[in-house]
Amino acid sequence: MSNYFDALSVLILFSSFILMANKRIKSYIKTFRIQSLLIALAAGIMGIKGSFEEGRIDILVVCLLIVVLKVIFIPNLLNKTYANIEYKVEKDFILNIPILILMCCALVVFTYFSLSTIDGINAGIINTQVVNSVSVILIGLLFMISRKKAIGQIVGFLVIENGLYITALFSTHGMPFIVDVGIFIDVITAVMILGFMVFRINEKFESIDIDKLNNLRG
Amino acid sequence: MRNIVYIVVQILVIMLVSPLVNGIIRKVKAFSQKRKGAPLLQMYFDLFKLFKKNSVVSDVSSWAFKVTPYIFFSTALAAALLVPVSTIVTPQEIPGDIIMLVSVLALGRFFMMIAALDTASTFGGMGSSREAMISSLIEPSILVSLFTVGLICQSTSMQQMMEAMKGTGIPLFHPVYIMVFLALFTIILAETSRIPVDDPATHLELTMVHEAMLLEYSGRHLALMELGAAIKQLVFITVLVNLIFPHDQLIAITGISAVVLSLFLYLMKVIFISIAIAFAEVFTVKFRFFSIPNLAALSFILSFLGFLQYFVLGGSNV
Amino acid sequence: MKIFSASALFQTSILLYLLAAIAALVFIKQQKWDNIISNIICIIAAIFGIAASLMKILVEDMPINISIFHSTIPFISVELRIDHLSAFFVLSLSLLVVCVSLYSIGYISHYIGKRKVGLFNFLYSAFILSMFLVMTSGNAVFFLLTWEAMSLLSYFLVVFESEHEENQAAGTLYIIMTHVGTAFLMVGFMMMYSYTQSFDMFGSSADIPILAKNAMFIMFLIGFGTKAGVIPFHIWLPCAHPAAPSNVSALMSGIMIKTAIYGMLRFIFTYLGVQSTWWGALIIVLGIFSSTLGVSYAFVMANIKKLLAYSSIENIGIIFIGLGIGFIAQAQGHLTVSALAIIASLFHSFNHTLFKGSLFLGAGSIQYATHTKNMEELGGLIKKMPLTALFVLGGALSAASIVPFNGFIGEWLTYQSLFANIVPGQAALNILSILSVAVLAMTGAMAAASFVKLFGISFLGLPRSEQALQAKEVPCVMNIGTGILVTLCLFIGLFPLPILKVVDKVVLNLMGTSLIGQLQGGLLIAYYPLQISGNVISPLLFFVVLVAVILFALLVIRIIGGKYSERKYGTWDCGFEALNSRMQYSAAGFSNPIEIVFKILFRPSRKLKVEGKLAYHPESIEYTTVWESIFEKHLYNPIFYVIKMLSRRTKFIIQTGSIHSYLLYIFVVVLVLMMYNTFV
Repeated sequence: MSNYFDALSVLILFSSFILMANKRIKSYIKTFRIQSLLIALAAGIMGIKGSFEEGRIDILVVCLLIVVLKVIFIPNLLNKTYANIEYKVEKDFILNIPILILMCCALVVFTYFSLSTIDGINAGIINTQVVNSVSVILIGLLFMISRKKAIGQIVGFLVIENGLYITALFSTHGMPFIVDVGIFIDVITAVMILGFMVFRINEKFESIDIDKLNNLRG
Repeated sequence: MRNIVYIVVQILVIMLVSPLVNGIIRKVKAFSQKRKGAPLLQMYFDLFKLFKKNSVVSDVSSWAFKVTPYIFFSTALAAALLVPVSTIVTPQEIPGDIIMLVSVLALGRFFMMIAALDTASTFGGMGSSREAMISSLIEPSILVSLFTVGLICQSTSMQQMMEAMKGTGIPLFHPVYIMVFLALFTIILAETSRIPVDDPATHLELTMVHEAMLLEYSGRHLALMELGAAIKQLVFITVLVNLIFPHDQLIAITGISAVVLSLFLYLMKVIFISIAIAFAEVFTVKFRFFSIPNLAALSFILSFLGFLQYFVLGGSNV
Repeated sequence: MKIFSASALFQTSILLYLLAAIAALVFIKQQKWDNIISNIICIIAAIFGIAASLMKILVEDMPINISIFHSTIPFISVELRIDHLSAFFVLSLSLLVVCVSLYSIGYISHYIGKRKVGLFNFLYSAFILSMFLVMTSGNAVFFLLTWEAMSLLSYFLVVFESEHEENQAAGTLYIIMTHVGTAFLMVGFMMMYSYTQSFDMFGSSADIPILAKNAMFIMFLIGFGTKAGVIPFHIWLPCAHPAAPSNVSALMSGIMIKTAIYGMLRFIFTYLGVQSTWWGALIIVLGIFSSTLGVSYAFVMANIKKLLAYSSIENIGIIFIGLGIGFIAQAQGHLTVSALAIIASLFHSFNHTLFKGSLFLGAGSIQYATHTKNMEELGGLIKKMPLTALFVLGGALSAASIVPFNGFIGEWLTYQSLFANIVPGQAALNILSILSVAVLAMTGAMAAASFVKLFGISFLGLPRSEQALQAKEVPCVMNIGTGILVTLCLFIGLFPLPILKVVDKVVLNLMGTSLIGQLQGGLLIAYYPLQISGNVISPLLFFVVLVAVILFALLVIRIIGGKYSERKYGTWDCGFEALNSRMQYSAAGFSNPIEIVFKILFRPSRKLKVEGKLAYHPESIEYTTVWESIFEKHLYNPIFYVIKMLSRRTKFIIQTGSIHSYLLYIFVVVLVLMMYNTFV
């Protein structure tokens, strides 16, 4: 069983690498959708396992929530925002893509070394899944740093959230239901506000280039 | 005796199947475009016809131009001897390992690039220069991914790796193998000039890489180059199926029925991979030339992550 | 003393080199004879050297001590001590010298009447002798003296064609860098003396505390690294090697930078002993940087000799990776892996001597025939200089580490040692090893691309200039020199075992582990890293298969297609009908994709100058690319700046020009010394 989770965690990690390699805003959304689908799959497998072994169905409910929210609702919302703005492709990066990808790779290695010094994660043996999912968080952060357009920031934020969620999932094998739901409500609110804000920024400044926010300094 | 059987089976299968792979890929692509497409065996007809035609040779060119088709073809075929297609595995009698495999193919590529420069044509130089870039970028991921599987099987020789896999069950859903599979698949697309990297179907100077190098060839020389390229493609596919989908119960069992069965399985796997390649070609567009480093970086990361999962993060045993 | 002992042969060889140097001065008036005589004496000396070193390695086991001059002045005594390691390096030196001297007989002849040939030959023989003595010196002071002599003599050779300003600049840079390196070595040797009270480099280093050993390791690494041209201490190498006459470049690139490898093995590996794993890791990191950066710079060069010089940096990187693995495995106690890695690096350094020697000689032939080193002015030489073309092709294949040439075997052994060094559980080292694998792979592919460029642009296609059109094949002796080296490359590639046995013997003597049982005889070379059989390659068998397949293909095609007939026709020119040499790909165009991909390394700034009134039919277009040399800009320039500032300060504060203050300084120093004597 842990083989499947290992593989899924690697695939989720890899999807964030693909996200890093994307240039088009449309592909950001697509990749995010795939990543969420993979997470839903992990949650689903864990939920089925949980319902058979312990009779709890809350993880299955969470899985359903993920599918509804992160696979369907949020990407659609982002697509709608995307349709309203004129920038479709990220052109100028702070660093070019191969270097960003190699940096992500270094992040994975770094995560491994930093986690290997923490005791108590699975009693001495380093949990591959946890390393992979913590790396997803860091890559999400790097993604936010490297992208200049506001929609990239939203996707980066969502990836960080995804990373947090799977870290929790893989290390605890199912959090209390109320925590999960709380997080989801947070995310929805955040995305809706952010999406709305992007739209307004675009209207106001005729651009969603966040470099322009420098002008706010006065 | 076993050696001779091995060599004969190997050469026959590789030479006969390799044009078929191209046929399948073209057919699937044609279906996706709602065309009927050329017959599956079209490449055999083409080769046969090309062998009979006489050659036009550029008056600028030197002996390097005429020697290259033979060297390219023979390196491809020699590389094919290193990757077993059936159950007959002969340890140590066919000496050569994955590093040698890469180097042998590099010899063929070296001469192909030289021949492209030999005719003083702009197209040749362009193809050669682009091939230089693509090969330099893709080479690390080839060796890292092969090394990763090699380290798990504790040998760099293809036959030994297959022997080590015997009876381990098909490790389809293991993180390392998933990563290596994806990496090798990307490598196949890049090394055999498939669509995201190169377009085998056009002669447009903006896009072509492999075709640009062959532009001056005609007649039997062209046939040899085409066949060599097809063999090289099949070699990579064979590496992929041998490492990722080994017919593990049949490895190193002799006997006619086992050999025939394994050959049948091999053929099925090759057809499966060819269809997968065709789908990859249908669903992706050709990358801008300077986006290829992104692809190369991704394929390197795939192989490196595979390595990390096993040798650093200490994933579960295979 | 027996006449046919290795010791006698070594001494004869040294005396002959001396004789060659003297002969060069004696016959200084008859330039033609001077050249022939001194080179022939060098060849004979080198043949003695080959015989002596082979005899030493294969027959005699005890180190040879030769005390030439033992003075009463402390530390200054001329004593030689030759063990297997020294003999091995002398072997590569002598092999190279035979070929290079043969080549020089022809090559130097174009200096006759124009330059001081006698002086050149004196410097040349003395340079060889100094390298010989570096490899055989018996104590640290004598080592340093010969090391310094080697640097100075090579400096004079670098600036031999001193009328070009860039040669002088290259020489100045070279002599500054090499002295910085020597300074670090001197600090290391002083530390050695202060702890052990002796300069005996064959003695024990047990008295040196571990901290001091670490410091000495750093000193030696920087000192020898500078000579080896390892990045970031490389900046002199791509300037100095192209500036020297080609036969000297062959010696410098082929063997002089290997004296650094010798020094590292002698002083760090044997004398200090490997103390911790980070030593090896540091060496690998240097190796990784050198090989990737070296090969990327090599690829974009349009100057043939610069390309070769950067390729030397790359190969030194590969040797360093091997050395690093050897050091790590030694520190961890894996003696077999360590032995394998050291064998790999020694073998690769031997191979590099052969192929880089042949390539520099080939570049010299091109320069001899066309008077240019710039690829953009060459082209089509394969028809004018068929033999040179063949030899350069062979050397190029070997340098690109392509089977069945010798470069491949060295790289294969390095791969195998990396393979054996990866075991689950040691995270950081595994990552370093797999990165080395990736780097070796990329280096191999890019080296192949660089040599495709070198061969393709300068020998194939249409001639790009009048000189290239008028080129003629070089004299026979030159081709013999190059040819021997290339033949050796192919021969060792096909039959690596004899040389591997020699290297194994050296390693057995060096660290007491032999792998000869695992390096099988016969047609194969085999190595079993993890007690599992299988990692076998046989280049010879591959070669046979290659030939067989070619014959088979010829036969089959003959049956299917009948007799071969061809039609000569112009290259496809898109109907333009006036294909000329300017339409083919240029060297700059060939390397442009890589240059763009690795923008971050080169920081190219491009200038396009278009002249003419019509927008689409300009009269001339000039395209220049300037690369920013990141190491000089971000590492060396700040250092130079600080030094310059300090010197200026010194000038104003201390060196005031007034004789009184100088006398005051002396007075103060004397007083301080006397006070020291009184109170301490």
